[in-house]
Parts: sequence; structure tokens; C-alpha cells
Amino acid sequence: MADKTMPIFVPSDKPVKLIKWKVKQGAFVSQGQILFLYNDSSGSNADLKKYKASRAGTILAIKVKEGDTAEPGTSLAEIESCQHPTVMKEMCAECGADLRTDEGSNRDVAVVPMVHSVPELKVSEELAQKLGREDADRLLKDKKLVLLVDLDQTLVHTTNDNVPPNLKGVLHFFLRGPGSHGRWCHTKLRPKTQEFLESASKIYELHVCTFGARQYAHAIADLLDPEKKYFSHRILSRDECFDPRTKSANLKALFPCGDNMVCIIDDREDVWRHASNLIHVRPYSFFQSTGDINAPPPLPEEKSKLSGKNGAQVQSINQLPLLDADPLTENDIDKSKKEKTSSKPVEKDKSSKTEDETETTTDKDKEKTDKEEIENPEDIANTNNEDPKWVETSDGQIEVEDPDDYLIYLEDILKRIHKHFYEEYEKSGKGQIPDLKHVIPAVKERVLKGAKLVFSGLVPTHQRLDTSKAYQVARSLGATVTPDYTPDTTHLVAVRPGTAKVNATRRMGDGKNKVHVVTPDWLWTCAERWERVDERLYPLQRAGQSSSRRVPAHCGSPPPPAPRKRTDSGRFLDFNPLLSFSSDDIADMDREVEDIFNESDESSSDEAKTHGDDLDDEENPPENRLISVENEDSCSQDNRLQDMRDASSDSELDEDCKPRKRPRPSSPPSDEEPPDDDDSSWRRMGAALEEFLAQD
Amino acid sequence: MFYHLSLEHEILLHPRYFGPQLLDTVKQKLYTEVEGTCTGKYGFVIAVTTIDSIGAGLIQPGQGFVVYPVKYKAIVFRPFKGEVLDAIVTQVNKVGMFAQIGPLSCFISHHSIPADMEFCPNVNPPCYKSKQEDNVIQEEDVIRLKIVGTRVDASGIFAIGTLMDDYLGLVTQ
Repeated sequence: MADKTMPIFVPSDKPVKLIKWKVKQGAFVSQGQILFLYNDSSGSNADLKKYKASRAGTILAIKVKEGDTAEPGTSLAEIESCQHPTVMKEMCAECGADLRTDEGSNRDVAVVPMVHSVPELKVSEELAQKLGREDADRLLKDKKLVLLVDLDQTLVHTTNDNVPPNLKGVLHFFLRGPGSHGRWCHTKLRPKTQEFLESASKIYELHVCTFGARQYAHAIADLLDPEKKYFSHRILSRDECFDPRTKSANLKALFPCGDNMVCIIDDREDVWRHASNLIHVRPYSFFQSTGDINAPPPLPEEKSKLSGKNGAQVQSINQLPLLDADPLTENDIDKSKKEKTSSKPVEKDKSSKTEDETETTTDKDKEKTDKEEIENPEDIANTNNEDPKWVETSDGQIEVEDPDDYLIYLEDILKRIHKHFYEEYEKSGKGQIPDLKHVIPAVKERVLKGAKLVFSGLVPTHQRLDTSKAYQVARSLGATVTPDYTPDTTHLVAVRPGTAKVNATRRMGDGKNKVHVVTPDWLWTCAERWERVDERLYPLQRAGQSSSRRVPAHCGSPPPPAPRKRTDSGRFLDFNPLLSFSSDDIADMDREVEDIFNESDESSSDEAKTHGDDLDDEENPPENRLISVENEDSCSQDNRLQDMRDASSDSELDEDCKPRKRPRPSSPPSDEEPPDDDDSSWRRMGAALEEFLAQD
Repeated sequence: MFYHLSLEHEILLHPRYFGPQLLDTVKQKLYTEVEGTCTGKYGFVIAVTTIDSIGAGLIQPGQGFVVYPVKYKAIVFRPFKGEVLDAIVTQVNKVGMFAQIGPLSCFISHHSIPADMEFCPNVNPPCYKSKQEDNVIQEEDVIRLKIVGTRVDASGIFAIGTLMDDYLGLVTQ
């Protein structure tokens, strides 16, 4: 840096004789260090004087030799001042200068916190680039990639609730809080975590990237990796995150040369801003009542929704073969149950650990209660409390069956990505580093390459096919999706049997090209494992409609929803839409409304609603209408109602991701107590009270 | 550098301790309140050696607490710029290494480590290794360093060190 070089001039207005240099060329001097001894040649009282460095830096050149005399104004040496490329706690780590007292210009040189666990240590952009390049070179040499590993619900599940102390495989540790406070954490590692880390660490450099507090992150890392051979010090926790909501902000600092070689596994997409180098893993949930205890703070609703969904998922996986109730309603009830039974995690754990036989019976019982609940939803609380889930077992270690095997698939995915990356790297020649942000989607696209899908009953009628999550999931897996059956269709993904498309496929599929008719679970499983799952495992059963058309949380990779645009004035509309109508028009509308009211008096309110809905859907692909027409004969009314309910709740889910009160299943009007009845009961009670008072 | 200093401290005592053991409580409280603390001026208080005098207690009006002025002698550790110390390496990374000198943490930048020593991230634990001889610095090793700067906060002291001088580096036992 030329501008930072400064000459050292003769420190007097008279010629000086240089006696001795105390430093060598290229040496680093700190402020106040003696540079040379000189002799002021003017007076007789000439004793040796010391020249001290006015600032820290490196001696670039020494221009005057020892014993020479220099005139005033000539430079004796050149010193390059310290750039403070490494700063620790606002103190230069090179020269020890205190940057708090220094002028402000020096302070912003070192801005990149490169070390995960020490945010105070910052290096300059230049140095960061250099270190980043060294890292990248080393990784390429070792044929490794970087893997950022999330902890909560990806590799472990932790709860603060009380759990039985003898649960097998659950680790307990105490986190000291501020003062004398603290909390017990109970952590279950995901099955096969050790094996996963072992094999992943061979081809990836592992970094922990979690929203847990630093203490928690290090405690978990100790549990996962007591010898520090996987993660070493590469642990990034909430304390080091720049932004409390996203982790992606730290990427730039950790990998100053770009995140080309960074692969991420996480159960939350939003914290990475839906980055394409993210593998969205299925959230791991062991303690059923607990979600992610370290979810980012500002999204509490999101969190509760997430935990609810997980629970529902696990349950529905367990119960699928047994249940023939409507999946949606079941999920609802599960969700509500979850909220209600959050105080009884122990019971739930225990129930899952009993032998298969008991489990089936409990499941059946549950199924029964589920049905009851559907019939009279106001009894939910009661039936829940009487639920016979509490089963005592023998003492000693409690073995809990944990069917989660996701890490096996994840390991395979990571291996494939690694292989693909280095294939590309070798193909492209040296120096050209492929970008994992392109490699990972490319690997994913191979999964269902060549498959042509048709959806039936999967996308609500009012939604366009290419905006639905199922469509996006299928596309991200490399499949093509057509709205209707075509001769080269390979898969039909149907929610329930008996739709027009299913029937058409069954008729035509007998020919030479066999079309697989599968449930949406097939698609979700493919998306989860990144492999083409055998279609025979997910046949569309004739009997029950068992599959959910809702996309599991970890499968969808939707782009963040586009915010509704406001006009400049900040409103959604800048004009009153009614103004564009003439008074005649408005009168017409009034009449129309009147007519509808009159009609609905005659027919049942439900039918009017159906009618209205159908009108609304006129522009959209009339998929569901066809279905409902087809089904009309067999199970008309119920099915259609169900359809509508599905559609409406689905659309709600898509529009806003907040947990909301679901519309109660619209019950026939006879069930509801008429309001005047209510009044009369009050009156009766009043009369009884009066009588009672009169007796006294 | 270590000093044996006369210091003063005020002990605030709750009235429930008034009784025959009062002075013992005051002493006990002094130990717990003072040892291990750090002030910018005197550095870390390592140990209280003697308690010279416990002054007359003053009852605080309105609350009943008593304040005892205590004079004591203690060994303190105050790091200085230019001081050479032995330290234990606690963390090694690509930017440099962290070391601990008793209660004092210290950072040594990569640039302040002799240029022939290179960072080796692949070995476990990571270390700095010289090319020709087997001079390896890794976690838990004892090194001798020179302090080039200190950051004195209200709560503690942090130091910047260097190995770029004669006789600095790994201490072989």
C-alpha cells in the first residue's frame, strides 16, 4: 500500500550522525520501539539520542548507513504502517495497537469474522479471501466438500420437558444459565447419527450451524463428537449469528471466496432463504410434545405449526394402514390433541414403547376415538383424557422404538452429490470449481428423470397446477407433469380411487405401456429420499383413501410467496371499485343478491354453498368438478362436502402459514341449538332460581 | 507480572449473619468476592494472603445491612506489554491460535507465528507445523510468548501475543 508508506525524516533541524540502527530491514516494529541511535552534531553536549517509532509497522527500506550524516529533510528509512488485518476485540492482533483510540479509518479494515466460535476475531477482506482460497484449495486437494450441519431436529431432538430418566438412548445434560439458573436438556440422537458422521466426515468437512445457544451447541457437539474429530472448533451457534432469523448471513463471512463448495442440511428452509444448495431433511421428532426448542425467536407461530405437523406426520406414518378416516380431519385432531396433551409427553413416549400388540390395540382405540371425535367434535377433550394410552412397563431401561432411518438416505444423497461435484470438476479442468448451488439441483433432477406424472385430486381446483407445491416438488425431482392423461404418461398420482383420471388410466393402462397408479406418498417419499422408490410400495388402494395430499413440510421447496403489491399510497387499491359501476349495475347486483337469498331459503344452505363454489371455480381447470360429477351416484353428498372442505382448508394453508382456527366441519343445521332454545333454557334456570329463593 | 499488593474492599453483610461468627463470615465473604476477579488497574486477583484489618462496620440506614471496610493483601497478576510468559494453547485455527495464561486469554495471529510454521487443518487436532524439523504446536501444548498488547475491560483482560522473537515458541519439557 503506497499511501500507507511513510518516510522517517531526520528528527532535527540540523544534520544528524546516525550511530546505530536497532532494527533490520523488513522487521516489524511496534509503536515506541527504538529504531536507531543518533547524534545531534550541532552542540558539544552531543550525547546519544534515541529515536522511537511513532507508529507500528514494517521497516521497508533503510536508506542511511550507520556512521553517515544526514541533512535535515532527507529520509532515513521507510516504514509501512500496520494495516491491522487481524483484529481481536478491537485490538490489532499484529501490532497490538488499540483501535478504539485510533482514528476511525483504520477500524473498518478487518470486518470478516472468520472463526466460527469467536465472533470478536475479525480479519480484513483481503486476508479472508486468502484464507478462503487456501481452504478451497485444501478441500479440492483432499476431495472434500463443506457440509453445514444443523443440530435440532436434523441430527438430534432435544426437550426441556421432564422425561423418564431411564429412556434408552436419551442423553441428559445440564446447561448452566445466568446466575444459578440452568436447565436440564434431554437429547436423543437420531438413529445412525454416529455412522452418518463417520462416513460423511470422510468426504465432507463438517461444520455445525445451529440456532442453539453457544453453550448448547458445544454441549451437543461434545455428545456427537467427544474426540472433536468431526467438527473440531467449527461450531457456529446463535451467539455468533449475525441475524437472529437466518443463518445465511454468516455464509459470506465463513466462506469469503463464495459458497461454491458448501452443502447444507437443515430441517428448516426459511433460515437459509431457500438456498438451492440446501438439502431439506425430514425433521426428526422423538419427544412428541416438543418442537424445535431453538427455533428462531421471531416466528413462534411457525414453530408451533411445525411441531404440530411433525407429530401428525409421525402418527400418520404409524397409523396409515389402519386408518380409513379422512386424513385431513385426522391431522386436525392430532394437531388439536397435540396442543392439549402437551403436558403429557411421558404418556405418549410410553405408549409408543409398548410391544407391537398393545400398540395396535391402542391405535385401534385411538382410531375409534378419532371417529367419535369426528362425530362430536365438542367431546375432544373428554375422550382425550380417557384415552387408554398409559401403559406401565417393567423397570430398567425403557426401550423406545425409533423407526427413523432417514440418515441412511441422507448419507446416500450426500455421497451422490460429492461424486457428481468431483465428476464435474474433473470434466471442466483445473481451476474451474463447479457450484454446488447448481450441482445439487442437478442431482435432484435425476431422481425422477423421464417420469411423466399426472395428478388426480392432488391440486385444489382453484389453484393453478404450476403453482401447487406438488407440482414444484415433482419438477424439482426432474419429472414432467401434465394436467391430463397422455399416451406417454408413466405415473398417475391420485389421492383417492374412483376419480375420472384414475378410472381412465385403469382402462387404458392395461395396454403395453403400464402406468403406475400411486398415492402422493410415493412422491413425498421420492422427494425425501431423493431416489425413485418402488411404485409397488405405494399402490392406490381401492378401499380407503389413506393418503394426504398435503405436502409434508420437508418436501416442499416453494419459493417464498410473493408479497401482495401495494400501490404507492400504501393501499392495495387506489380507487373504489364500486365507482366503476353505474347505478343500474349496482341495482342489478342488489337484485342478484336478493335472488340468491330467496333461493337459499328454499334449498339447504349447503347446496347453495356448493353452487357458489362451483361458480367461483369456473375459470380453473374443472378437475374436481369432474370428479364430483363422477362420484355423484356413489357417495355424492359426503364426498363433495369433503372435497370442499379439503379445498378450502388447503387454500388457507397456502395463503397464510399461521396456525389458525380451522373451520369446524360444517355440521347439519339440526345439530346446532337454535338460539331461542338457548334463551328458553336461561329463562328456565331463572325461574328455578326464583323458586329456590322463594322457598327461603 | 505478579505483585503482592495491599488492597481494600468493602463487604456488605446481611443482618442475619450478626452473631458470634460474624468476622469469620466477613473473611469468608472477602475470599469469595475478591479472588478470581479482575480489575483493569491491578489485573487478576489470584489469592488473598492476609487480611490486615476489618474496620468498624457501618449500618446502612433504612435496610440494616452493614458495610465493613476490609484491608487485605493479595497476589495479583497484571500482564504488561512486552512481557514474556508461558501459556497453554487452547485453540488452533487458520487465523491464529488462542492460548491461556492462567486466567488470561491471549490470541496469537498467524502473522505473529514464525513464517516457516504452517497451519495444518487436516490432522486432529489441528496444529501449526514447521516444514523441516518436527516443530509442532497444537492444543494443550505449552508455548512461550511475548505480549504485544492488552485490552483491559471492566470485566477482564485480553492479550495479543507473538512468537516472533528469540526463544519464543514451543516449550519442551
